[in-house]
Amino acid sequence: MHERILPKPMTNSSLPPVRTGQSWSALAAQFAPALLLLALLAAWQIVVWLQVYPPFIIPPPLAVWQKGVEVIADGTLWGHIQATMGAVVAGLAVGLAAAVGLGYLIAKNRVLDHALSPLIAAFQSAPVVAYAPLLVIWFGSGLTSKIVTSALIVFFPMLMNTVVGINSVPTALRDLMRSMQATRWQTFSKLEVPAAMPVLLGGLKISASLAVIGAVVGEFVNANAGLGYLINLARSQYDTPLVIVAVLALTLMARLLYSGVRLLENHTLAWQKRDRPQWK
Amino acid sequence: MLRKWVLVALSSVLLLTVSGLRAQEPVPLTFFMTFVPNVQFAPVYVALEKGYFAEQGLNVTVEHGDENVGVDLIAAGERQFGLISGEEVLKARAAGRPVVFVYEWFQQYPVGIVYNADSGLASVADLKGKKVGIPGRFGASYNGLTALLSASGLSESDIQLEPIGFNAPDVFCMGAVEAAVVYINNEPLQIQQRADAGQCGAVKNVAVFPVATAADMVSNGLVTNEQTIAEQPDLVRAVVAAFNAGLADAVNNPAEAYLLSAKYVENLPLDDAFRSALETAAQAQTAALEAAPDRAAVIESRAALREQLNAAFDPAVVVQFDVLLNTIDLWDADQLGLTDDTSWEQTAKLLVQMGALTEPYTLTGAYTNAFLPEAAQP
Repeated sequence: MHERILPKPMTNSSLPPVRTGQSWSALAAQFAPALLLLALLAAWQIVVWLQVYPPFIIPPPLAVWQKGVEVIADGTLWGHIQATMGAVVAGLAVGLAAAVGLGYLIAKNRVLDHALSPLIAAFQSAPVVAYAPLLVIWFGSGLTSKIVTSALIVFFPMLMNTVVGINSVPTALRDLMRSMQATRWQTFSKLEVPAAMPVLLGGLKISASLAVIGAVVGEFVNANAGLGYLINLARSQYDTPLVIVAVLALTLMARLLYSGVRLLENHTLAWQKRDRPQWK
Repeated sequence: MLRKWVLVALSSVLLLTVSGLRAQEPVPLTFFMTFVPNVQFAPVYVALEKGYFAEQGLNVTVEHGDENVGVDLIAAGERQFGLISGEEVLKARAAGRPVVFVYEWFQQYPVGIVYNADSGLASVADLKGKKVGIPGRFGASYNGLTALLSASGLSESDIQLEPIGFNAPDVFCMGAVEAAVVYINNEPLQIQQRADAGQCGAVKNVAVFPVATAADMVSNGLVTNEQTIAEQPDLVRAVVAAFNAGLADAVNNPAEAYLLSAKYVENLPLDDAFRSALETAAQAQTAALEAAPDRAAVIESRAALREQLNAAFDPAVVVQFDVLLNTIDLWDADQLGLTDDTSWEQTAKLLVQMGALTEPYTLTGAYTNAFLPEAAQP
């Protein structure tokens, strides 16, 4: 084995003594998101007090809070969250499966790459909101059209990441696997998948948020349930607090999905972090 | 003493000059409309092109957008005038938005249910258990459907309601729904055209159950806000007068209205032959109007023109003109712009039934006929 050329990880004994300033900055970093949230709420309330806009345009935070409590208590919000989440998860699963499968084939086959890449680049540039109404006509007004919308919006970035991920596997490592007479499956499972995993998970992080957008676009066009539908309904009833509650629920959903992928990433790429030098 | 008189004279001259300058400067005004530029907004295009807004000292720009956004913009004073539906005015006022309906543009509710005329459906009650498409559970379509079902002793649970977006011609002709809630001036024509071309499955003839036959509901009209009414009543009167003149001209001379709309509506069918035919018809109608024909005669002239143009031109060329004629039928009345208490009461009751309005509600301040031109005053 070659000796590692990279700098050796620092041990506790080699670390410089912790300064008070650093502990303050660490503390500030820990509470920064909460402080920022409080500052935003305060700014919002100030705008309401100053009556920059009438309350039906910018309602007070308390009105939004009360509306949120109301729709959580009567189960309305949960029902719509479930509908959107169903479309998001299914769309994400379909989009990922299709993108990773096709992406792998494109990465391995130059003819396929040349044939499909221009087409994919062209389709990728078409905003999903432009063709979402057509998807409703083709796939019906039920859950299927939302899943397809969500899957399509996930598909293109994930496809690109898959191609990049597989192509970025170092040639030296491929040669190594070949010299060890590894089978195609062994090369795939022991080399390509682990090596492409950081890029794939990077794509998944983007896709998780995009899947929510896709499902909501579908619900905006046509739906009986879901957070996109709830926003449309609230707008038609001039219920601005409910619009904000639904938007916040969507934000929370996208954030949870993102955090889920982060957890998966931490778990899956633990080996990478273990082997990487620790800089503090 | 002399100095005092000189000062008064100078001040008077200055005031007259300033007011004169102001009188020459048109007031900029952004006029809100829903949807996208369409021949159905012909009265506004006519008022713009024939200078009715300019005569009132207004420099009008039109903008299109989502109806709920338009209501909020008008309520917040960001816009002063727009074309909004009556039920939206009631819902918005119940939610604290000070919007006021000042002119009833559509005298008949434009929504209905389109169905296959050969399917054996004789009344709305026959829709029980059938799959009915609707753009969504919102807006005029949903309100109209509820009114129709209610008048026939049905409710939403008696039918299979299918949200299909604004794709009724496609979905209906694919056979995915047995009937669809539509704007009666537009989609039935498109569906009939497809049926005539053999592109609508087994459908050969379409028919419509219009909401207007079952319920007298307030439809679209000119809307402003309470602040504008309180502080600039003359401006309200001016906008109403200009819109009224545009609407009257469109009703009386649809060929001219179509030609004037072409500048604003992209892709409006208007080849050379059709333009020439419309120009001839517009000139003839202008001459005929000089004899001040009564309403029945004008209605007859529209019917004759429809027949003449449909016989001479391909359906694809004449379809938007037919849409305009169908829409004019929904605008036309003995007194344009007049809104009545009964239709507001019916609309409010329907909204209560739908849960969009809660009792006790008040209609006071929601609408007024006070700004109609004198000739149209009740």
